[in-house]
Amino acid sequence: MAKVRFIQRHSLLTRIVHCTIAVACVWLMISGLFVFIPPLAAASPDLARFMKITHRIVGVIFICMPIFGAVGSPGGVKAFFGKYLRKWTPEDFEFLKKFVPYMLSPKKVHMPDQDEVKSGQRFADGMLVIGGVMMAISGMALWLGTTVCPLPAGVLTVMRFLHDLFFLVMVVFVVAHIFLGAGIFQPYRGGTVKLMFGNGQVSEANALYHWGFWAREELEDGKNVVVKTVPDEDRKRISSKASLGTEPDATAKLEEAPQD
Amino acid sequence: MATLQKELNRVHLDEQNPAVTEEKAILFDSSRCSGCKGCMVACKTWNKLPSPLELNSQKEGWQGSLQCPYDLGPNTRLTITFNEDGADRMWGVNWAIGRRACMHCTDAGCVTVCPSGALYKNEFGMVSYDREKCIGCSYCKGACPFDVPRHMGTDDLSGVSLRINKCTGCPDRIAHGMDPACVSTCQPGALMFGNRDEMIKIANERVAVLQGKGFDKARVYGIDEAGGTHVIYVLKYGIEQYELPENPSVSGLTAASEIMKPVLGVGSIALAAGLGLCFLRGVGYKRDELRYDEVNHDVIDVETGEVVKHIDKEAGER
Repeated sequence: MAKVRFIQRHSLLTRIVHCTIAVACVWLMISGLFVFIPPLAAASPDLARFMKITHRIVGVIFICMPIFGAVGSPGGVKAFFGKYLRKWTPEDFEFLKKFVPYMLSPKKVHMPDQDEVKSGQRFADGMLVIGGVMMAISGMALWLGTTVCPLPAGVLTVMRFLHDLFFLVMVVFVVAHIFLGAGIFQPYRGGTVKLMFGNGQVSEANALYHWGFWAREELEDGKNVVVKTVPDEDRKRISSKASLGTEPDATAKLEEAPQD
Repeated sequence: MATLQKELNRVHLDEQNPAVTEEKAILFDSSRCSGCKGCMVACKTWNKLPSPLELNSQKEGWQGSLQCPYDLGPNTRLTITFNEDGADRMWGVNWAIGRRACMHCTDAGCVTVCPSGALYKNEFGMVSYDREKCIGCSYCKGACPFDVPRHMGTDDLSGVSLRINKCTGCPDRIAHGMDPACVSTCQPGALMFGNRDEMIKIANERVAVLQGKGFDKARVYGIDEAGGTHVIYVLKYGIEQYELPENPSVSGLTAASEIMKPVLGVGSIALAAGLGLCFLRGVGYKRDELRYDEVNHDVIDVETGEVVKHIDKEAGER
């Protein structure tokens, strides 16, 4: 049996909120296309109307879920902004500078260590947050402004423009987010998807690769470190996701790894 | 009536009378309008549009004006406007009576933005719609420089019953050689209907007469506005008295929104191509498996046991 160390990166609440928003966001994009792309609406107005109604229902979920998360964990909100609005380090700038070359040549270009949230993540997630907020505001205006709370035509035109504009922004950043987060890009494969759609834990090796500064701090601190025992034959399977630790930290929790 | 209307609608225009496919227009001569509102009643009657019957029940409320309903609404496709310029004088009022309804533009912004194809320009040049195709997005409302389209079902938060309602130009009547409902009932002859060229000719002649009588601001409206409208106005007084924009045009934001569709298409292809290239470049990627010795602050290659990086804490490294 081998011991493998993991770091608990995301709480259950974070994962539930992210998962719900992710599904809602994808559905909003699909249903929104039925208004955005005329041939889709023209081909089946009934389906387009159904999509429009689901767009509104799911839109409410999309808006309410972050609020639910914020109410459930005010400290988490504070930590979130603390992570994202921190001062940029030289490594952060280096990361952004190398990002495109790295994406095109990951075998040759090596990225600098990063804190808990990479600079690229901060930029991309920031765009998603801004885009999401703008979509929510303009979407609510388009909805309520054409039903129970009529808005002037000029305001509706501006809101429609913003809704379309930030839809484009969201498409770019959501697709890129899925490409990296789901591990479609091979260097990101091996567990990143589980961070949000699994147990929220990242293996030591993966953490050191993606967020070097943060991983070392966490491993030294030991508070969020989980040690799992796995069969030796499974070590290779986990090789890209985990490493064998030396002696686990005394504060680390010991868990039995799932035999999947 | 309903049965008759359905029967009329079934007759195909071109088979019946190809001559009526010429570009048509409604002529509104404000100098002849007496403000009787018979056209409003005819419109509601022909199109089966209800009016609230309770006292003072118009949503817009009592405005202290003869203009009632004050604006177009979910069930009001046409309203007559009253402007009392000079009301501050002791006597003599330039009482401008206008008409507010769809202008049936040649450059119809509503048709451009309609995602489902519900709005379309018919063979007479009029902007009509198929309500069954309307998905209630209300984009047409924001795209109209005259702020004309209204929607039924706006009190339904779900938007299920939201459907456009605006003047269609009565294509079912035109197809059978009849005038639009509003025109057919106009007693003083302020409304006329016919070939657009002919209506413009009559309008120009009428304006010449009015100017000859001293109405210096009299003019024709709709010849070139919005690409040429299919409702031509003879304005007896200045345009500012008629709730009409001097230079009606589709908002630049509406045009920009339309540009985003091809941008999204091209952008999606570019994004897919870019990510596809990244994917291919990442295939076969392998990295050394590392672990961290937090006691000695060493990052170690698991396979070789080699220290690949030492974190010099004393030097401030992290």
